[in-house]
Amino acid sequence: MGRVSPSALLPLLGRLVLAWVFISAALPKIQDPVAFSAAVDGYRIVGGSLSIWVAIVLPWLELVIGIGLLTPWLRRASGGTMACLLGLFIALHASAWLRGLDIDCGCFGMSADSPDYRWLILRNLALLTVTIFILRTSTGNKLSPESSL
Amino acid sequence: MLREFLIISLLTALGASYSLFSGLAPRPWAVPDLQAGEIRLEDAQALEVIWVDARSKDAYAAGHAPNALFYDAGDPTGSLAAILEKWLMEPRVIVVYCADEACGTSRKIAEELRANLPDAEIYSLKGGWSVWAE
Repeated sequence: MGRVSPSALLPLLGRLVLAWVFISAALPKIQDPVAFSAAVDGYRIVGGSLSIWVAIVLPWLELVIGIGLLTPWLRRASGGTMACLLGLFIALHASAWLRGLDIDCGCFGMSADSPDYRWLILRNLALLTVTIFILRTSTGNKLSPESSL
Repeated sequence: MLREFLIISLLTALGASYSLFSGLAPRPWAVPDLQAGEIRLEDAQALEVIWVDARSKDAYAAGHAPNALFYDAGDPTGSLAAILEKWLMEPRVIVVYCADEACGTSRKIAEELRANLPDAEIYSLKGGWSVWAE
């Protein structure tokens, strides 16, 4: 059994955290797409059948890239997609904050609490920083012992 | 890299197809499009909203949504005060409904409420009371 080198430990922890966040965010939304589509509607950017499409496709994308980040041959594309999604989420939260909307974030399924936009944006910025760090430290999707950890 | 994105897209499409065809999610093409400011009954029920009934007094007496507030068109100030009081005690989404898709009263009242309660999230119910009967 190979040992994890100290330089590979930090990216490994980052990948585990990001995968856990995205997988645990995806599962409740896959189970209840109707409630998630109501949360998508709340942002008042898409509506009608388009919000249902978003509510069906987005959680599966989150799940796939969450697992993909732990899969050596899907890591970079998953990380890239994750960075794009986190950037999009930050923009959406900032937009809702600026418009004074009292939305359900929809991040981890339905919640009755009012959103704390500052916290949501900071959290996603932190996750985006970790994602960028992982993308920079990951040189490729080679199946070498170091890159696969 | 392109192959990885294709694999991610394919797996996502497979998952979404499972949601669609297993009945987990409603078929988007079968759901009528909402106009701005409208909400579907199932979404409103999931949100546990404050209901506002904008039909006639007789229709309200015959049956209404759970704990719905009656909007008296003859006394808009009193009706607004009652809605405001309820919303201040329980700040939740407000949904106004009238008789059916064609009535239009709920949209008008929702607009009035938005002007008076700018901090509240207010919708009119798609299809009105008629969707409750289905």
